[in-house]
Amino acid sequence: MLNKKNYILVVSLFTGLLFSCSPKNISTKYYYENEKVLDRIEESYKALYPLGPFNVGFTDRDFKTVSLEIITDTLSYIYEFGIEEPRLRDTLIAYDLNAAKINTLIKQMHDIRCTWITYSDYYVDEKKETMILMSIKPVALKSLFSYAKYYVLTYFPQPQYFDSEGRLLDKRKLRRLRKINGEVFKRINNKVCYSITGHFR
Amino acid sequence: MKLHLHNGIRYFIKAVVLTCNIILFTAVVTAGTPAIPVTPGKVTSTQQQAIDYVEKIRHLKPSPHWPNIKPALFLKNLKTNIHDIASIYPGKGTNFCGYGALTYLFLQDDPLGYATLLLQLYGEGKATFRSITFDPPPAIKLEAGELKYKGLLDINPAEQMWYLTLADHYKGYLNIFNHQYDDGDENRFWASVNYAKFNRMTRELLHYNSKAKGADLMRPKMASLYNYISEKMKTGTVVLFINNRIVHKKDHIRLKLGVPTHFIVAEKISIENDVITFMYWDYGRKTQLQVSTDFFKRIVFGITWFTKKEANAE
Repeated sequence: MLNKKNYILVVSLFTGLLFSCSPKNISTKYYYENEKVLDRIEESYKALYPLGPFNVGFTDRDFKTVSLEIITDTLSYIYEFGIEEPRLRDTLIAYDLNAAKINTLIKQMHDIRCTWITYSDYYVDEKKETMILMSIKPVALKSLFSYAKYYVLTYFPQPQYFDSEGRLLDKRKLRRLRKINGEVFKRINNKVCYSITGHFR
Repeated sequence: MKLHLHNGIRYFIKAVVLTCNIILFTAVVTAGTPAIPVTPGKVTSTQQQAIDYVEKIRHLKPSPHWPNIKPALFLKNLKTNIHDIASIYPGKGTNFCGYGALTYLFLQDDPLGYATLLLQLYGEGKATFRSITFDPPPAIKLEAGELKYKGLLDINPAEQMWYLTLADHYKGYLNIFNHQYDDGDENRFWASVNYAKFNRMTRELLHYNSKAKGADLMRPKMASLYNYISEKMKTGTVVLFINNRIVHKKDHIRLKLGVPTHFIVAEKISIENDVITFMYWDYGRKTQLQVSTDFFKRIVFGITWFTKKEANAE
């Protein structure tokens, strides 16, 4: 039977194990630890998107399958490629996209386990606004019994409003929380927010 | 941690409830409900008739029945739907896709009927169309115009009113445990559409003959899915009920519930070297994807084929 000292040790170890990899711990540090890479990905995507709108990500756990959505005025095209497949480059060229730069972006995403990057629209006072939504699947973000495991970042073009707990607010009604894909987001800085979610898009 | 544990349990319970419902009710609902008889050869309206009708309306008064709908936005939304059918947008994260597909067909077949129905519903708070009376409760009337964070649907109050009204009026087995609208229910089982419910709605509201193959849990059995769909597309409009969790992946969970979740309207289909190129409409635009025949077989659970009442229906 466990004596009191051992009991406390076991409980402490178990609690430590659970929380050392808990989403809460990750979310406070992750952005700043990877700020340069994450911001580089965002900047690169922001620069490439106006040349030909597209969304890109990885749809498998091993980050070997690239999902590419190319958006034209009339149609969206969805493709899946192996990361090394020449078809990926050929397709980008066929759509007159900057294949070299998009390939670099995909490599950067792969290296940091970024699962998806996309532009997303939202409305403030009936006016359309856009932001970049980026999701990452860090190795450590795997808490026991949890299905929520993506670290999602939003990059807004202008400063946002937050409540005293740092939760993203709707601009119009300052007390109303703004939800993105059904999730509440928290402040990292005036323009960047994060959430831990069960979906990468 | 507590929150995530709680979410995990909720997710598990949801999955169990959904699976039990499907197992319990699939056999019953696939038997279908009888179609409402419609006068054969009845002529429906053209897009131009609908344009002429809505363009005459310069100004709408605020409706006392829908206090949160801005009249100018309502009218703009209605006109956009009539002019550009593909613009129909059932909203991000909602369970309105079935109502969106229905509306897409409705606008192709009877845009004037759509316009008059929505204007009557807006003006009088209730409306009757083809002997079906829509009389939404106060909770729906308060919510329409207030849905937020759904993308373009945020500024489309006519569509908000219509989808909420449809979800309130039509019930299927997926809605058993959530019958009354509460805030946020547009994303929950309250708004869900199972295959039999979708077919029932289309039979009641549209001037089409329809024929459905498939079910919520069982894929349609046929020698060649591609041949069947492409044949049907030659003579009518085809709606597919698909497992979108495979096509439009949102997570990396390996073990996924093999059930359909999404309605799409087929636009074009072709095949080459066992790869199907498929174009479809959903969520305000058309999308094209290429998939293997095996993958296509895995995702398609329901095929509903619509033909005009007066022509080429079997």
